[in-house]
Amino acid sequence: MDEEYEVIVLGTGLKECILSGLLSVDGVKVLHMDRNDYYGGESTSLNLNQLWKKFRGEEKAPEHLGASRDYNVDMMPKFMMGNGKLVRTLIHTDVTKYLSFKAVDGSYVFVKGKVQKVPATPMEALKSSLMGIFEKRRAGKFFSFVQEYDEKDPKTHDGMDLTRVTTKELIAKYGLDGNTIDFIGHAVALHTNDQHLDQPAFDTVMRMKLYAESLARFQGTSPYIYPLYGLGELPQAFARLSAVYGGTYMLNKPECKVEFDEGGKVIGVTSEGETAKCKKIVCDPSYLPNKVRKIGRVARAIAIMSHPIPNTNDSHSVQVIIPQKQLARKSDMYVFCCSYSHNVAPKGKFIAFVSTDAETDNPQTELKPGTDLLGPVDEIFFDMYDRYEPVNEPELDNCFISTSYDATTHFETTVADVLNMYTLITGKQLDLSVDLSAASAAEE
Amino acid sequence: MASRRRVLLKVIILGDSGVGKTSLMNQFVNRKFSNQYKATIGADFLTKEVQIDDRIFTLQIWDTAGQERFQSLGVAFYRGADCCVLVNDVNVMKSFENLNNWREEFLIQASPSDPENFPFVVLGNKTDVDGGKSRVVTEKKAKSWCASKGNIPYFETSAKDGVNVDAAFECIAKNALKNEPEEEVYLPDTIDVAGARQQRSTGCEC
Repeated sequence: MDEEYEVIVLGTGLKECILSGLLSVDGVKVLHMDRNDYYGGESTSLNLNQLWKKFRGEEKAPEHLGASRDYNVDMMPKFMMGNGKLVRTLIHTDVTKYLSFKAVDGSYVFVKGKVQKVPATPMEALKSSLMGIFEKRRAGKFFSFVQEYDEKDPKTHDGMDLTRVTTKELIAKYGLDGNTIDFIGHAVALHTNDQHLDQPAFDTVMRMKLYAESLARFQGTSPYIYPLYGLGELPQAFARLSAVYGGTYMLNKPECKVEFDEGGKVIGVTSEGETAKCKKIVCDPSYLPNKVRKIGRVARAIAIMSHPIPNTNDSHSVQVIIPQKQLARKSDMYVFCCSYSHNVAPKGKFIAFVSTDAETDNPQTELKPGTDLLGPVDEIFFDMYDRYEPVNEPELDNCFISTSYDATTHFETTVADVLNMYTLITGKQLDLSVDLSAASAAEE
Repeated sequence: MASRRRVLLKVIILGDSGVGKTSLMNQFVNRKFSNQYKATIGADFLTKEVQIDDRIFTLQIWDTAGQERFQSLGVAFYRGADCCVLVNDVNVMKSFENLNNWREEFLIQASPSDPENFPFVVLGNKTDVDGGKSRVVTEKKAKSWCASKGNIPYFETSAKDGVNVDAAFECIAKNALKNEPEEEVYLPDTIDVAGARQQRSTGCEC
C-alpha cells in the first residue's frame, strides 16, 4: 500500500465490483479492498460449510448433503431480466466472456390461493385460469396497447398522456378486475407494492414492455436468466474486468478505516497500519456506518430441498411472486428457486429462498406463506438484515455509498443505483443501449 | 484433421508477481516478449489451438490479471481448471519457496475431485537473466521439490528467448487432456447472452 489512487472501493459487493470495473476501464486508478477473504460481500454465494458456519455456528455441514464445494448459495437471490439493465451492463463491458447463463424455467404468481404460471404465450394465456374469458378479451386489448405504445409516437398513446394519467386510471379504461391488476402489477411490471397505482402509468407500461422484451430475448418460458455457479460469479467477473484494466485488489484487509481532512473531505484509507491515499471513496454501507441511515429490513428464508417447488411443473429454476394484497401485507413476498441444473447444488438438490420487506420481528412466522409453498425441506435457515441508504453529500466529502440490496428477485433496482453512482462519481452517463444484434458472441 | 469433438482445456498460470507469467503466455500464444515490466495490466485469457496426436484442442490459458499480487484471486478463477502451471523466477529464491503456497492454494480453491493426481506443471523461468550468473534456484533443487509433490513435470524456460516454452505448453496440454473426464459430465444448456439477436417484442396476448 502507501500509494496514491484516484478511487478506493471498499467492499466487493456486486454494485462495488461493477463500479470498480467501469472506472478501471475508464482509465481511473482504482484500489479495491474487502475485509473478507472472498468476493461478494453481502451479495456473495456461500459453499455448504460457509453456510453452516454463518447460520449454525458449526464448521462442517452434515455429509449426507453432499460436497461443500458443490453448493453456491446466494446471499442475495435475484434473477436477471433477459433484456434488463444488468444484462446490458454485462454486454457493454464484455464481462459475459467470464460467465455462462441458463434461462430460468418458470415465472409464477400466487393469485386466488394458487400458484399460477404467468402466461408466456398467447396459448398459455388462453388456458390460464388467472383470468376468465371476458377478462381475457379486456386484458388482451390492454396488452396490445402496451405492446404498441411508443413514447415518441403519439398515435400509439390512445389519447392519453401516460406521464399524467395514473396506472389506476389506465387500468380502469380497460375495465380490468382486481386479480388481473395484481398479476400485471406485481408479476409483470414487478412492482413491490400497490403504490404504483396512484403514480403516472408511464413507468408501469415501460416495465411491462421490459418483461415482454425479456421474454422474447431468449425465447424461453420466463423472462429471466441466471448464471451457472450462482450469483457470486457476478462480482468476481466484474472484479476481474477491473484487474485486467489495472485495478489493484486486496482481499482480507480488516478494519478499513476511511480518513478525512479537517474539511471533512476523504483523503485515504488505513488498514493494518498502512494508508493509501485517494480522491474518492466508493463503498457499501457497512464501511461508513455514520453516513447511512436505516430504511428497512429484509426477512429471508433459505432452504435446501430434494424436489422442485410443488405446482411449478417440475421447474428447476423458478420465481413465484406473492402480491401484497393476496397476503394483506404492505409488500410483496418473493420465492426464488434454483438447483443442480445451474450448478449451485449437487445433483438432485434444490435451493429455495423466500424474501420480503420485514414488517415484524419474526422472520419464521412472517415468511410462512412463502415457506408453505416449498413443500418438505431438508434444511432451512432464517435471516433478517437491515437495509441502509446514504445520507452524506458526496460533493462535500467525496464518499459514494451504495444502497443496500432490496428483497426483490430481480436486479433492475440494483443496476439503477450503480448507474446513478457512476454518474455522481464521474459526471458521465453510461450509454447501455447495446445494439444486441451486433454484439460479438461470447468466447467458449 | 478435423476433430470429432472440439475440447476446451482450461489452464491457469500461478506464481508470484514478476516471475513472468504473462510473458510466458504471450510468448507461447503470440510469439511476443516485452522487457517493460509492469504488474500485469491488460492480460486476461488467451486461447490457442494445439494438436495432440491427430486431434485439435483449444487451450484457454488464464492469466491472473495481477490479482495474485495481494492474494486476491477468487474461486471463479480456479473453477474448472484442467491443468495448473506454477511459475517461479530462478533468480528469486522466494518465488521458488512460494510454489508450495501456490500449489496448496490451488488445491483449496479448486477442490479437484482427485487432488493426489491433479496435473501440475512447474516452470523455472528467466533462465536468460545475466547469462545465468544471477541464478539461485538450482535445477536439482527444483526437480527434487517436483518429485516430492508427485513427480510434477519441470521445465526451465526463458519467456524472453522462447527457450523451452513450446515444449512446456505441449506438456501442459497433454496433462490437461488427461485430466478431462472421459464420461460426459453434466453440462447444463447455456444461452449466449452476448450473441442472441433481438427478437421482435411479443407481449402476453389473449
